[in-house]
Amino acid sequence: MADTVKLPEDSFKRINADDRAALDSEKIAAPSLTFAQDAWRRLKKNKGAWVSLIVLAIVFIMAFGSLVVSPHDPNAVHPSYANLPSKIPGININGFNGTLVQAGERIDAYKQAGASSKFYVMGTDYLGRDLFSRVLYGTRISLIIALVATLFDLTIGVTYGMFSGWKGGRIDTIMQRIIEIILSIPNLVVIVLLILILKPGMTSIIIAIALTSWTNMARLVRAQTMEIKEQEYILAARTLGERPMKIAFKHLLPNLSSVIIINTMFTIPNAIFFEATLSYIGIGISSPQASLGTLLNDGQKNFQFLPYQMWWPALVLSIIMLAFNLLGDGLRDAFDPRTKE
Amino acid sequence: MAKYLAKRIFYLILTLFIVITVTFFLMKLLPGTPLTNQAKLSKSQIALIYEQYGLNKPVWQQYLLYLAGAVRGNFGTSFQFSDQPVSYLLSSRIGPSLQIGLQAMIFGVILGILVGSFGAMRQNTWVDTTATVVSILGISIPSFVLAVLLQYYLGLKLGWFPIAEWGGFIYTVLPTLALGATPLAESARFVRTEMVDVLSSDYIELAKAKGLSRTGVIYHHALRNSLIPLITIVGPLAVNIMTGSMVVENIFSIPGIGEQFVKSVLTNDYPTIMGLTIIYSFMLCVVLLFTDILYGIVDPRIRLTGKAN
Amino acid sequence: MKINSAVKLGTVATFAAVLLAACGSSSTSSSSSKQTLNWMESSALPSMDSSTATDVVSGETMNNTGEGLLRIGKNSSIHPGVAKSYTKSKDGKTYTFNLRKSNWSNGDKVTAKDFVYAWQRTVNPKTASQYAYMYAQVKNANAIMNKKKPVSSLGIKAVGNYKVVVTLTQATSYFPSLVASPMFFPQNKSVVQKYGKKYATNAADNVYNGPFKLTYWTGTSDNWTMSKNTKYWNAKNVKLKKINFKTMKDPQTALSQYQSGKLDATYLSGQQPKNYKNSKQYVERKSASTFYIELNEKKDSMMKNKKARQALSLAINRKQFVNKVLADGSTTAKGLVSTGLASKNGTDFNTAAGVSSATSQDLTKAKKLWKEALKETGRSSYSFTLMADDTPAGKNIAEYVQSQWAKLGNIKVTNSNLPFKTRLSRSQNGQFDAVVSAWGADFPDPISFLSLFTSGNSYNNGKWSSKAYDKDVAAATGKDANNSSARWTDMVNAQKTLLNDQGIIPVYQQGKAQLVKSDVKGLIYFPTGANWDFSQAYIK
Repeated sequence: MADTVKLPEDSFKRINADDRAALDSEKIAAPSLTFAQDAWRRLKKNKGAWVSLIVLAIVFIMAFGSLVVSPHDPNAVHPSYANLPSKIPGININGFNGTLVQAGERIDAYKQAGASSKFYVMGTDYLGRDLFSRVLYGTRISLIIALVATLFDLTIGVTYGMFSGWKGGRIDTIMQRIIEIILSIPNLVVIVLLILILKPGMTSIIIAIALTSWTNMARLVRAQTMEIKEQEYILAARTLGERPMKIAFKHLLPNLSSVIIINTMFTIPNAIFFEATLSYIGIGISSPQASLGTLLNDGQKNFQFLPYQMWWPALVLSIIMLAFNLLGDGLRDAFDPRTKE
Repeated sequence: MAKYLAKRIFYLILTLFIVITVTFFLMKLLPGTPLTNQAKLSKSQIALIYEQYGLNKPVWQQYLLYLAGAVRGNFGTSFQFSDQPVSYLLSSRIGPSLQIGLQAMIFGVILGILVGSFGAMRQNTWVDTTATVVSILGISIPSFVLAVLLQYYLGLKLGWFPIAEWGGFIYTVLPTLALGATPLAESARFVRTEMVDVLSSDYIELAKAKGLSRTGVIYHHALRNSLIPLITIVGPLAVNIMTGSMVVENIFSIPGIGEQFVKSVLTNDYPTIMGLTIIYSFMLCVVLLFTDILYGIVDPRIRLTGKAN
Repeated sequence: MKINSAVKLGTVATFAAVLLAACGSSSTSSSSSKQTLNWMESSALPSMDSSTATDVVSGETMNNTGEGLLRIGKNSSIHPGVAKSYTKSKDGKTYTFNLRKSNWSNGDKVTAKDFVYAWQRTVNPKTASQYAYMYAQVKNANAIMNKKKPVSSLGIKAVGNYKVVVTLTQATSYFPSLVASPMFFPQNKSVVQKYGKKYATNAADNVYNGPFKLTYWTGTSDNWTMSKNTKYWNAKNVKLKKINFKTMKDPQTALSQYQSGKLDATYLSGQQPKNYKNSKQYVERKSASTFYIELNEKKDSMMKNKKARQALSLAINRKQFVNKVLADGSTTAKGLVSTGLASKNGTDFNTAAGVSSATSQDLTKAKKLWKEALKETGRSSYSFTLMADDTPAGKNIAEYVQSQWAKLGNIKVTNSNLPFKTRLSRSQNGQFDAVVSAWGADFPDPISFLSLFTSGNSYNNGKWSSKAYDKDVAAATGKDANNSSARWTDMVNAQKTLLNDQGIIPVYQQGKAQLVKSDVKGLIYFPTGANWDFSQAYIK
């Protein structure tokens, strides 16, 4: 009665463990990634951020590399070559060919100074020092100031803000009063005093900026923490008996990352600007040391006649800022788990 | 609310007291004398003049005397302006500083909100790119460089605005622009970031699904929730404007207090340093109090009593 | 002009046209009101009380709104002021001034009593005047300042209403130029007492006896205005109707204001002078201040070594610094005393007392001396800090000198730029290795400089000391005070001693570059004290 269907011997094959694994529908095809790996992958997709990272790397290498190799000694003085404009070999465009408008006439400043064979890519300053070397030097000092200030921002500010926001209540109130008091002392007083108490110069500026800059970060982090801590997933973690430390690192920090990163991107220009402001009002770093701030400030004074002395440092500063900002955007998108692909 | 306010005002006074105390004693560590003619006076001559000003007394006595005077509204006599009471010096010069600071803040923040929210709404289009460039330029150029550029091009070359000095509204335009660039950039970036976050959240999807108009969604839901973090940066922005005003007032020859502050610190003008520190601290405290109250109004989730539940 | 504050950026262009029209009309109106001078100052006017004022701007303003017994004119020459004439006693200790009949701006008469009152008020320790020390030569002044004698004992007496007799402790050849400076101006007792604490704190609560009177000044304002004082005895020769003073703290702003016609004169700084060198409006003003480097001889054996000091001096190319770096009318220093300050029989003080080896460059010799100094003090190299002000001028000189010293070899110089007050107290407390100092003469006499470096003087920061120098300076102010040629020789010898021993390293004499519109005529400039006299200025 039953017609048995005759199947060839090889119609079925016994599967082994390997084959079973290959057929598993629950299997995730992509390799499993950690949070950081995932962020890195997303960052690489963002063209702007990627380019910025490379630009920043170049700026860092040039600025810090100029310790070893520099086109000229940034402090070597040649008063007879003073105030020469930019001259880039092979380029004959006004502004980059070593000519200058003087008394309504365009003249070759290099010929006039008897330096026809020389090239100063960004020109020279009032003492005949190579501006390019000084810009590299200044960039280095500015970056150091900014990075140290940012470091304080990240360590003190974030911890303080998270703690204050998380604890709430009396502790929060006291901690906020402390911040308010620190915020309410005009920075300048602190800085002038530190300049006098400590050895005048960069250290005092870094310490002064560090002492005053973290408060902003702390306030932002606190506000965000207060908001996040009321969220369900935090509640869930608490209910499950997770240790506060772990909640802070596993749940709070990743969700705070966007605020932290954006604010960091503001701390860097703020620190550089603050130093620049100090040099404008007369308590910056000592000559012949230079920062982008002092260079801008020196250039600003001669803008009418020697505009390149301001444009070059301004250009470098803007490039650094642009790069930091785009990178910040990219990092934010990469870190934020909520970002859509 | 009244109880909260009373508490905050008590804290404000406490803050001011601490600021006065700290500044007073730190200030006394400044090397040199407050005498304008210090370079040409011998030590014995300085001692004689010190006696007249009561500066030969122990520092703690000077401190108590200062506090006693300050409570009664007597902040002493300036050393730079040798016969002018500090209260008069500051009150006669605070107007221009306040005007420019407020204008810069309002101009910067309002334009910043506009630029930021347009950028967020048209994410990844040319509008967004322009908005980003504007905000990045705003924080890439220090206010003194911007001030010089504005002064040179709009003031001297084009002659649209006065180069410097103080007069009607027209004199405030360039300083306001120079000072307002940072608030503009910072608020634009904050609003954009927050708005992008908010726009991708569920309740916005819900609102859209319910058929709310685009402007309705933006105005009622997105904007309101994006502005909360902006309030927290108003305080720091105010600090930024105060620091910036010291430079901008100098460049535009504005008879304000910002420039006075730098000068008083550099010349050890003790009474003026103290007077200005108190004013700055007070203004800052008020801004911070104001933002905290505003925070509670804008975001009902934050409880002003600060009680932990 | 009111503009709605809701104006947005986009509409800038539209109301720019309105503005241009407004600016145009205002500039024509200002040029039509001739005999108005718009003058730039780099800091505000802080005081108008001749007893308590301390700064240059106050001095300059008071010099034009007030008048002393005598007036300073071109090249620091002395002219009659409120006093028609004066006589000096044989011993040089008594001066008798005969006053003319003149009035205060409120109609009161200017009398001898006004001088007596003003001088006594300044010297009174209660006034706490920071310039009272300028009265040191007047009899009993020091005792009064130290509360040893009553104020009334000051060596000034009114004989009737129009004669002032001044008694000095010793002959003082430069006393007439002192009397012409603002801290010796008269004060109207009834006015001072009437306004009390408010006296001279604004334009209205004050009276004036000079060519101009202050008509706008709130006491703290950045702008102030002088108008012609019709009550001035010589008013018919005062041509300007009005002078507007405007404070421009930023040199770039000042230049722009000048270019746009808002200022008739402006000082140039930084690289600005280089660009105006060939302009017809460019003027260089010499000031009586010398920039020099003091070396701390108390701190370290190296700076005590004369060869080291000479090497440091010989390494500096002052000509290059003055011509290429500053280029603002500053000149190389030929000594401590500024050139042009004093002369005898047409010979400048520095021609007689300059020591070229102490103020010129010779790098080969410098290197040799430096090596010897290192050897003598037993070291292979020397590193130290050069302290200077945190001003453009301070930075310029520190950067330049550092680069020059580096050429000596086996030397390491670190710069430290500090705010003025900090720099000052550090140098006075001996907390430095080398410091750039500056001194401006208070009155046109070499002794204003030379008295600085006597042993134990509080301005002698480097603590250089020489018995010969002390002796010469003491003779010039003491036994030879009334013998002009002996005094001259004393002072010449003193500066020679100082320079030969390289007690200080003079670098340059400050000059101020200025742009003045070509239609401004008759300005009177003098290098000491108040600097400017506008009484004969006019707009052509």
